[in-house]
Amino acid sequence: MSELPWYNRGLFSNLNLRQKTILTIALTGLILLIIFISGLLTNANLPTDFSIKMQPPSFQHLFGTDWMGRDMFTRTIKGLSLSIMIGLVSSILSSIIATILAFIASTNKFCDEFVSWLIDLFASIPHILLIMMISIGFGKGAFGVMMAVAFSHWVNLTRVLRAEVLQINTSEYVALSKRFGKSKLWIAKEHILPLVLSQIFVGTLLVFPHAIMHESSVTFLGFGLSPHEPAIGIILSESMTYLAMGAWWLAFFPGLALLIVVLLFDIIGDNLKRLFDPSEANN
Amino acid sequence: MGGGSTEHAPNELVACVAAHGEEPEYGFDPMHGWGYHDSGTEPLIQSTILKRDANNTFVNDLATNYTISDDYKTYTVEIRDDVKFSDGSQLTAGDVAFSYNTAKEFGEGADLSSMNNATAEGDTTVVFHLNKSDSTFINKLTDVGIVPEANYNNETYGQNPIGSGPYKLAQWDKGQQFILEKNPDYYGQEPYFDKITNLFLDPDAAFAAVKNGDVDIAEVQLAYANETVPGYHLEYFDSIDVRGISLPTQMNTGKVSEDNITIGNDVTGDPAIREALNIGINREELLEGAFNGFGNVSYNGVASQLPWAFDSTFEDGKVDEAKAILAEAGWNDTDGDGILEKNGTKASFSVYYNSKATERQAIAVAVSEQAKELGIEITPVGGSWDDIDPNKYSQGVVWGFGSADPYEIEHQYDSRVACVGYDNPEALNDSSVDSLIDSAMVQDVNGSYSTWSQAAQQATSNYPFLWVGTVDYAYFVSDSLDISNSTHLIYPHGGDIWGNIYDWARINATAK
Repeated sequence: MSELPWYNRGLFSNLNLRQKTILTIALTGLILLIIFISGLLTNANLPTDFSIKMQPPSFQHLFGTDWMGRDMFTRTIKGLSLSIMIGLVSSILSSIIATILAFIASTNKFCDEFVSWLIDLFASIPHILLIMMISIGFGKGAFGVMMAVAFSHWVNLTRVLRAEVLQINTSEYVALSKRFGKSKLWIAKEHILPLVLSQIFVGTLLVFPHAIMHESSVTFLGFGLSPHEPAIGIILSESMTYLAMGAWWLAFFPGLALLIVVLLFDIIGDNLKRLFDPSEANN
Repeated sequence: MGGGSTEHAPNELVACVAAHGEEPEYGFDPMHGWGYHDSGTEPLIQSTILKRDANNTFVNDLATNYTISDDYKTYTVEIRDDVKFSDGSQLTAGDVAFSYNTAKEFGEGADLSSMNNATAEGDTTVVFHLNKSDSTFINKLTDVGIVPEANYNNETYGQNPIGSGPYKLAQWDKGQQFILEKNPDYYGQEPYFDKITNLFLDPDAAFAAVKNGDVDIAEVQLAYANETVPGYHLEYFDSIDVRGISLPTQMNTGKVSEDNITIGNDVTGDPAIREALNIGINREELLEGAFNGFGNVSYNGVASQLPWAFDSTFEDGKVDEAKAILAEAGWNDTDGDGILEKNGTKASFSVYYNSKATERQAIAVAVSEQAKELGIEITPVGGSWDDIDPNKYSQGVVWGFGSADPYEIEHQYDSRVACVGYDNPEALNDSSVDSLIDSAMVQDVNGSYSTWSQAAQQATSNYPFLWVGTVDYAYFVSDSLDISNSTHLIYPHGGDIWGNIYDWARINATAK
């Protein structure tokens, strides 16, 4: 057993897999929470100070400063915090949409076909296009972006849930409940929902990274937010102008931070999946 | 783009400059605004009746002589009889009249609202009939490029312009470049360059093109102005292109404009707020930051190069005085949140800016920062003009103005055009301004400048704007190119550098 991976050695060696998974989830969750909360706590308008503009990274300004002398570290954290918030709201919303649609699909054949058609329709339109249209429809701004991401990311989860619900619907205890005269609503609440709840949780978390990536792409393209507001996409698109002047730090650190945050959410999602769905734990 | 410099003949010019950095949407059609932006700019392909010279005085282009009636309602212009369009046909007074009447009908370029119509009398005389006395109309004679009446097609002219200017359009690759070739039949001073290629590039690509040595001259954002590139030098020009924030002068009483947009703001409607902002803000510091130092402070929106310029009656950066003015007017911070209140109204409003313009963004953000010190909360909001328009009469907006035509004062301050389009967005209502404008309109244009100046001074005493400063235009110019700095025309809002193209030359052909 000399080929133990690093996480099975030293400090954590006496934890079992389940404990380790929980620990991973807790730690990554904590990091994301800290980013989110510190972003919320910093002042909405970052102070500009033209006397220190375009400074490379230093100990005073870890990520350097931009063309208006704003501290890029604070700006990045603030941007990530906004991304997380948009991700949170829109992934919860899209899960709710997905759940409702999955249950509607289970009521009868006509509804099922309608939902399948809706899934095909939304899946056939490129995400980014859909997001742009919806965000304009909702009047731009952070709200528009949130709604746009929510209304374009329910597709995959709906597909999974629909299949799951269909399968549960054919089970004997559901058939039994029906014969006992239980209403469809009761069956949905008591039999189906508890069984798909873990799917919904994991699905919500796995939408998160997509939501954040898409949020930054639309803000990169200039949809939604004012250019002085800190959003990762805005920061990155602004940095393009200054790359030619050699201001690499304006793109490098925010980009890296975005990547890390997305990865952290992915880690949480994967680990939760293992926790909820033991059959996958050995993968 | 590959490295190394592109080979081209010494008498060919590769440029990356354009009014507002943008491609003309309708092509090179003066009827759709080509060659005009707040005041006339060099259309290159077409001729105009008059031009301006480096001292901002009028010189003849097509005109040989002009007379103005005593009531400033009739302008009679004699034009040259030896001018040919590039298709070989003769340019006549009929073409001039047609161009002005069509430009007025389209209303996309010069402001010809005071013109009734233009008529041709014979082949060389054009008469402009005005609907009111307007001594500033002489400026409009520089604003419209002349197109041939025969065969003019509104749809296609922009792509295939026929004109009588120093150059002909050889090629237009939409989204990429246009190529001009010298017009052999041009009647005026022959320019040095046989061929001009102008590229349309994004700001970062324009700077990259300079670094690669691909262009002879490129207009760059002020952010790049402190960079050095071997083989190039930076030329920057003062402009009359001024930036300022409109401060609605009326209270919000539920009044709306003709197009149903709310007028007035209960915070900036208080003169004390407007005065405090004007004297409390530090413009020097703003320019240093927002324009990288490439600009000149303006307290009143009239650039110092203009004949109706005047000295400011106040100084700025006086935070304590500004606070005293606010306190006296009853603005106090009663709840300790750092923002003043008066009768339950918070001293808080928004300032909208066009999100494409970084210098406007910097102004909005930096002003909001400085206003915080005074206890006034300004929320910057960036957006497209579609986002700004519904708020343009009720919130602050960062505007760009700057015309060599004093009629601009009318647009900015006349109460009779208040809240119509982009005119007088602050809804200033000062009858003495209006009457000064009226009397300036019936004075000889040179004599009227002092009256225009009085009108602007009277308007400024109401602090309808928070003027910030004029923005410089910066170019990286190849060391092998002489763009004749002594003959540059003044830069209006949206101006370009082509005005003295006749004096440009390659000075060291082997350097490139």
